[in-house]
Amino acid sequence: MARNGTPHPQPLQIHRLPQSKYIDALRWLPPISPFDRHVVLAAFNSDSDASSVEIHSINSKNPSETLTHHFSWTSPHRISSLKVSQTPQKPVIAASSFSGSFHVLFADSLDATIDSEVSLPENALHAGPISGIDLNESGSECVTVGMDGRVNVVSVGGSGVSYRKVFDSNGLASYTATKWASPAEFATGGPGLGVQWWDQRKCGGPAAQFKGNWAQKTSGIVHSIDIHPSRKHTCLAGGSSGSVFAWDLRWQQQPIILSGVGMGETPAQSLSESEVWEVQYDTFTRAANLASISSTRVLPAMICSEDGILAVVEQGEEAIEFLAEPCAINSFDIDKQNPSDVICSLEWESIAVLSRA
Amino acid sequence: MPALPSHAGDTSLVLLPPEAPDSAAVIPFHHGVKPPISPRFSISWSRGNSLRVSVFKQSPQSDAVTSTSSNETDGGRVVELKLGSAGDGGGGEIDDAAQWRRIAYGSVAPFALLQSRKNSMSALSRMSSSSSYDAQWWAYVLEYSREINSLLGYRRLPPGPAIEDPRTVLKRVEEPTCLKAAWELMEVFYADKQSQAWLPERLVDWLADFDSLFSGTQPTIHSKLLDFQEELVTLQAVEDDPRYWEAISSALAVGWLDIAVKLLRLHGSYQLNQLGNRETENGLVEAVAVLISKMPRMRSKSAAGNLGECFKSKPDFIKALEKWRAQITKLDCSAFWLQCGHHQTMEGLKSILQIMLGNASTLSASTCHWLELYIAHFIYIRPFTAGLESMYTLAQKCLQVKPVSRPHKLMKLFTGILGENTEVVLAECSKMIAHAVELLTAGSTQADIVLHEERDNLGGISIEELHRLVYAQFLSSHALTWQIAPIYLTSCIKQGMGLLEILLSKQPVHHNQVLLKNLEICRLYELERVSSNIMKVSYEWLEYITGSMVRKDLESSGFSKLGMNFQWEGLIELLGSDSRIAGGLEFLHKYRDFKRSLQQVHDGTATDAAQRAAEALISLMKNPSTPHRFWLPLLYDSLKLFNWQECPLLNVPQTNLLLNKLQELSMVRLRPDFIEADLPLQALSSVRLALATNLGRAILDH
Repeated sequence: MARNGTPHPQPLQIHRLPQSKYIDALRWLPPISPFDRHVVLAAFNSDSDASSVEIHSINSKNPSETLTHHFSWTSPHRISSLKVSQTPQKPVIAASSFSGSFHVLFADSLDATIDSEVSLPENALHAGPISGIDLNESGSECVTVGMDGRVNVVSVGGSGVSYRKVFDSNGLASYTATKWASPAEFATGGPGLGVQWWDQRKCGGPAAQFKGNWAQKTSGIVHSIDIHPSRKHTCLAGGSSGSVFAWDLRWQQQPIILSGVGMGETPAQSLSESEVWEVQYDTFTRAANLASISSTRVLPAMICSEDGILAVVEQGEEAIEFLAEPCAINSFDIDKQNPSDVICSLEWESIAVLSRA
Repeated sequence: MPALPSHAGDTSLVLLPPEAPDSAAVIPFHHGVKPPISPRFSISWSRGNSLRVSVFKQSPQSDAVTSTSSNETDGGRVVELKLGSAGDGGGGEIDDAAQWRRIAYGSVAPFALLQSRKNSMSALSRMSSSSSYDAQWWAYVLEYSREINSLLGYRRLPPGPAIEDPRTVLKRVEEPTCLKAAWELMEVFYADKQSQAWLPERLVDWLADFDSLFSGTQPTIHSKLLDFQEELVTLQAVEDDPRYWEAISSALAVGWLDIAVKLLRLHGSYQLNQLGNRETENGLVEAVAVLISKMPRMRSKSAAGNLGECFKSKPDFIKALEKWRAQITKLDCSAFWLQCGHHQTMEGLKSILQIMLGNASTLSASTCHWLELYIAHFIYIRPFTAGLESMYTLAQKCLQVKPVSRPHKLMKLFTGILGENTEVVLAECSKMIAHAVELLTAGSTQADIVLHEERDNLGGISIEELHRLVYAQFLSSHALTWQIAPIYLTSCIKQGMGLLEILLSKQPVHHNQVLLKNLEICRLYELERVSSNIMKVSYEWLEYITGSMVRKDLESSGFSKLGMNFQWEGLIELLGSDSRIAGGLEFLHKYRDFKRSLQQVHDGTATDAAQRAAEALISLMKNPSTPHRFWLPLLYDSLKLFNWQECPLLNVPQTNLLLNKLQELSMVRLRPDFIEADLPLQALSSVRLALATNLGRAILDH
């Protein structure tokens, strides 16, 4: 395993919390007060073959204590993707399943429970599994993508959900990850390390697309995409063979490679050699001097990988490694309101809570 | 679990012994298949402890119409039956599957570290041999043992009351597990070589921690003390009760000094209103209590709160012990006893002194089972050990004094270690056996030989390897732990890699995440052959993605102009380049080559690109794995090649081959299972015309 990143130099608190359940995905709930902090887990109990979406509270003073379980909603299928809106009063939780069903849970942040739930059954949105979803900040619209090549936008209202098909490639193309850029635009990623840009005002296909065949020696799938609210023209993508790259709509031909094996002529640093499961812009590292970073430079990004790395990569800088676990890190989430705190799920039925100082 | 034959008669494979009808368990299950049910059942082992039973519907003959008209379309059901609940609970066993998995996860890193250290150490030792090497190695083994030990843990108990009752003699501790007890015992004997000199004291500590585990099968001092503690609240003058003195003697006999002293100080003579008239009596009690707390002990350091004075070296200890015994004898012979008015106190204290002086019969009377007596021997009679052999003889003697009808598994382990009986030791290690082997091979030369010897009856592998394989099997039976199994399999020299290949190719791939995780393991262990096999298996999965993409690409000719085809190109790359593994994959590769050159032809008019495209087409059409239904779309896509302006791209035999294929296609199309491609009506005739033109030009050219 490539261990090229330097260990994190600043004080870092790590708490590992065993769960006795496989955590498929996890997200912070937007906090209603600095003292009440909750996380949403998509858990899978292998003993009972049951999946659930659970709300737990974390004691922010002493996270070494185990999570306190508040509420759980039994999911009929195993969760493939989980997203949470950034509305502290009434958070909306969207979850998609490997069986193709789609669920919207309306949470109550005061008592950390789920008030109501709306579902779309299997095969309504996609034929086969839904591989990626993204909920916009207000929780009103959710884009869903699947390997079947369909792209849907689900509108979440107070009374229920409705959806419309944005595109159907009839299986000619498939998509594995998605992220909103603006109320009308979003990006998707898929096999062949490709990224597509969609504008709902233009129908009939992606508005722009980036073919992944620049990676001649290797190929793979984009697993996760992130777009920073202040840099809507740049898609950050992570996928197979440790590849992390930024695709700037203004320079569509050449991606900016942040990490990856055997890419291009001059290989960038390679933090990981296996699947990068999730990428997110790290709002903590440079939160203060964001404005001073040139708009052509890619903002620092956090990644987690199959070979157990949780790290921050930055263009032209050495990566900072926070975790190097003996097992895979399947997902993570940076607390939007409190970006020093990160929660991640480990392959070996546990989660880790990190607080950076 | 004996199998119940589905119907009695000569066809049953397993005959149940008639004398044991009770041992057969009947497990009813619900299959939900509507009658008529076929008399055929299929039964196979599933993951872990489950049976997979397939129930079929009787094949419909007369009622074929009704069964299709009704909503029921399935021909049967597959039901998974879980056999037996995990563990029997109680008795200090770990019965929680999640806890077992936690142990399995946690023990991976220590095991892998020890293996890598072992390898580098053996490389080093070949170059030079030094004593610092040994010390280093023992430090590694002990580190490994402690890390595994910390995983085995205790079972959590709810928190006790905040204020401790002064009458609580036994501290409320977390309930220990048998597994931890076994591991600690092995650590004492095999791993912790640096504290071998203090072995007896380590055994004292061990019994103090785990005596409660024996309570289930026989009376123990622990249970005796627990019972007495409950009585304690109701007793007014404890010293009148003979059980009070028994409890003190017992606690003292196995070296639980703090409990003995605490109990002694509950003596009535300490009460303020009594002090005046029971002064001598109280003085005697306190003298004994002080003597107990001053007992010399040969150990490196005492745990916080433990009584006794610790000595590290043997001469210092012997000196202190002689002095202490002299003080006891002096007290025993003192004249104060005559002034002691309380008879029970005098008797009780005298018997306590006998224990401290090492009176064998008093020790025997104060202990409950042989292991306690054995420990008492170490404390009061023989504080030094002289090798395993003499320890074993002593254990045999204690067993004769206090025989057990059904020895506890920890007792079997204890005698197994003392008797250097490697098989017995391993048999008591439960699921940690593969990890315990590391301690045994490190700590005992004899065990090292036994465990590493290659055995013909095990198919040429050693016992060490066998246990690793068995453990890997246990891990791979669960969907969440199978990914750990490769660590153990790769440490098995003979059979490991072969089994790893089988394991990897047996893993189901429902989602591409799972597939990618499997491929990652192949990459880590450099198993290219397996990864290509996984891809072959996943070809069926791929059929859904790539296959359907390619099919649609072919069937809706011209769609590829949208530029969407790069995605399946990427997928084909992902599947690797080893075309031998699957015919379908070979087709995909050739199709990709064909499409690439055709794309170049569409972009420009380079003849060499067109030539390559034509060659790719011929190779595709020659390939037997190219499905019939793709023939016409392929040819239709190549129209431009047949009508190439500069020169005919196909020679006479090649054109004839394609014409023959067209002929064959007209035959194939008559078959009922043939699927027509979505092509314009004139497609066939335009292909035929173009080929004929090409043939004419090729003949002229020739």
